[in-house]
Amino acid sequence: MKAVGARLPRYDAMGHVTGTTQFVDDVRVPRMLWAKMLRSPHHHAAITRMDTSRAEAMPGVRAVITWEDVPLLTYGHLEALGIPADEPLLAKDEVRYKGQPIALVAAEDVDTAMAGVDAIDIEYSERPALFDVRKAFDSDSAQIHPWGNWYPHFEGEMDRRKIRKGDIDEAFEQADKIISGVYRPAAIEHVPVETQVCLAVPESDGRLTIYSCTQALYFTMGVIAAHLQVPLNKLKVVGGTVGGGFGGKVDTASDTVSALAAMKAGRPVKWRWTREEEFLASSTRAPWHMEIIDAVTDNGWILGRKMLTLHDSGAYARFSPYGVTKHSFHHTGAYTIPNLHFDGYVVFTNRVPTTAMRGFGVTSISFAVETHMSRVANELGMDPYEVRLLNANRINDTSPNRIRYTDPSTVDVLQSLAGAEGVQLEGAYAGMTRDPRSGDLLPDHLVGQLKTEGH
Amino acid sequence: MAVHRGRGIAAIEYPTGMNQNGDPSQAWIKVKPDGRIDVFSGTADIGNGAKTIQSQIVADTIGVPYEWVTFDNSNTDSSPVCTGTFASRATFVAGKAVLKAAREVQRKLLDVAAQEMEISPEDLEIEDGRVSVKGLPDEGMDVGEVAGAAVYGHGILVTGTGAQLNPYAAFTDPGTGEVDSPPHAAISYAGCVAEVEVDDVTGEVRVTKLTQSYDVGRAINPSLVEGQIQGGAIMGLGLGVLETSYPYYPSVEHRGSGFGSYYAPSPLDMPDLETIIIENPSEDGPYGAKGIGEMANNSQPAAIATAVYDAIGVWITELPITPEAVLKALDKKAAGEDQPRRDGKMVIFDEDLSVNTVGAGLQWTA
Repeated sequence: MKAVGARLPRYDAMGHVTGTTQFVDDVRVPRMLWAKMLRSPHHHAAITRMDTSRAEAMPGVRAVITWEDVPLLTYGHLEALGIPADEPLLAKDEVRYKGQPIALVAAEDVDTAMAGVDAIDIEYSERPALFDVRKAFDSDSAQIHPWGNWYPHFEGEMDRRKIRKGDIDEAFEQADKIISGVYRPAAIEHVPVETQVCLAVPESDGRLTIYSCTQALYFTMGVIAAHLQVPLNKLKVVGGTVGGGFGGKVDTASDTVSALAAMKAGRPVKWRWTREEEFLASSTRAPWHMEIIDAVTDNGWILGRKMLTLHDSGAYARFSPYGVTKHSFHHTGAYTIPNLHFDGYVVFTNRVPTTAMRGFGVTSISFAVETHMSRVANELGMDPYEVRLLNANRINDTSPNRIRYTDPSTVDVLQSLAGAEGVQLEGAYAGMTRDPRSGDLLPDHLVGQLKTEGH
Repeated sequence: MAVHRGRGIAAIEYPTGMNQNGDPSQAWIKVKPDGRIDVFSGTADIGNGAKTIQSQIVADTIGVPYEWVTFDNSNTDSSPVCTGTFASRATFVAGKAVLKAAREVQRKLLDVAAQEMEISPEDLEIEDGRVSVKGLPDEGMDVGEVAGAAVYGHGILVTGTGAQLNPYAAFTDPGTGEVDSPPHAAISYAGCVAEVEVDDVTGEVRVTKLTQSYDVGRAINPSLVEGQIQGGAIMGLGLGVLETSYPYYPSVEHRGSGFGSYYAPSPLDMPDLETIIIENPSEDGPYGAKGIGEMANNSQPAAIATAVYDAIGVWITELPITPEAVLKALDKKAAGEDQPRRDGKMVIFDEDLSVNTVGAGLQWTA
């Protein structure tokens, strides 16, 4: 029997549904300590004083980890892609979001660890905070980072991701209608059943075994090794079985600090986030602010699109510049629009840092583009299937990056939905295929584009 | 006072693999003396079924029963590099790594069998755990015998390695977004029709049905593909009408801190689901597959927002579409304040939400 194409049961299904699969929190080892984190109670503040000596002296407390214990305090998850680091592993002299980690206490049991956290003497001086990306550019806005409120390091040191294609002014000139709208999906939680959790075990050979819930074993190992300034052969990351991630466990949120505590205490350390920490201090899906202005003709062609995106990165960049770049590459959706002018900013606020989540960068644009498409159809008095089929990307059309589409299926997908819904498409639309454009479906504005790009 | 029904459509696309590529996945395989197969891959299984899909690919590529395959992704000592389980890359990118490793294993098994049978390896094939002569299915040996001969007769270790890396797509002109090669491993396509009921007294939006169509390239495991599509649909429903981390925004206080105060979709929110799978094989995915894990929650919010408009005639473009948002929108409609501003050929929706209205530092217009 062929396996490919077969409805085989999941490899791990029986273990999952009978509760016998071993997840990170199921791993218990002798002499294991429990950890708790001191987190910022403020959205934005300077730390004016911190003294951990009272916590360190408590019976049962075995290690207290602060920024001073981290060999490389600030390391960016995407430094290899040229995105500079901006987030300390543990806060040093300022905090930029409520819940930001400051100091970890490892103790013989959870209650002692919590008591140790409470025994840390710390004082803050609160600062004004910013929560609306639309106000980040105002002269009287709270200042989040020394360099400003938006990310300045896109390739060429641009302060935004730009897409420029064709002649946007000409498209707007030729348009019969210019239709604009604003789209604002919310921040949401990843809600994994398994909260963030790590067990770090110092081994007798000097290595560290890290039981991790990461979605990316090697990625996480690289991040830990960078912070600890150790070669990869000092670390063994154990994982691969994750109790739900949805993007939130690409961030290395618990492993590095747990490793530091295990090294300092010389004992295994488990740090398991509570459900409340998972909801309030873990990263979220970003809330995005998107404005679309489409230049359209009365017979349904989209000649050009001007778009502004303000991506709420929260307090730190993490994966946000990557997400905005991906977003920009897909801002025409499943359609071919020859004239484009896109500006996308990574904007900092004092919300919790936002990060990857299922559909990263594109979930937002799909909502914006498709709701806008429905509005355009409505304004033009056109059938929503037909306006989509007309503009659907076809073989040899090009993406916002000038990459030729080789196997687009927008036409097939729309026709199959029409079939399922009992919608009768007009002859030309019923007979459409994804093959290269010709005849009435290759209007002048697309002829020009295909010519200039040499296809 | 009534419940209003509406319907809305959305069509989407989504890339497979990390944006701009440059994301390696690697795997290696060894064969036990009885022909059983051990796969070592660094791909975490986050519930997406990576262990199953990669095992299916290995089983068919070598030609052994699925049950013979053991999949180990448990640690970085024994497993090689995998960039990770995100970017819809586990089936397509990591799947190609195990596919390549399995091809090498098959070639080595055929070499050993050919020597045992004194025949050219080109004349042999493997299926269902048996090596046989092409055209003569009764002539052959079990893969277990071949594997045993390799260990105890020929003194060799049968292994295979595979690596997949799509080259990094660099900007040729960052000022325009132009790149020098495809910035994705593949693109997948999907669409959704949402049916909703909107209660104009309570403001509640109920999503009653989601009809969805996905081009998955090739369904390596149709049950798992349907699981992704249906699970994703419920996440998309959450995005559309239920979930927000900051329910009192612009205040950021009183966030949901548990399952009772954060409204993730529950079984009571489940709509009827109809799923259509299209198989337009990708040019170079494993067995023609594309990745659709992430896009599964991308189409529903727009389809739902459009269906709400179809039901009650108001566009709500801030998510989620809560009862409060619906009632406020209906109030605006009753007051005649829901229409876009029209100025010549300009049709301007949502002016109150624009950065031009709310902020002062960034003016952005057509």
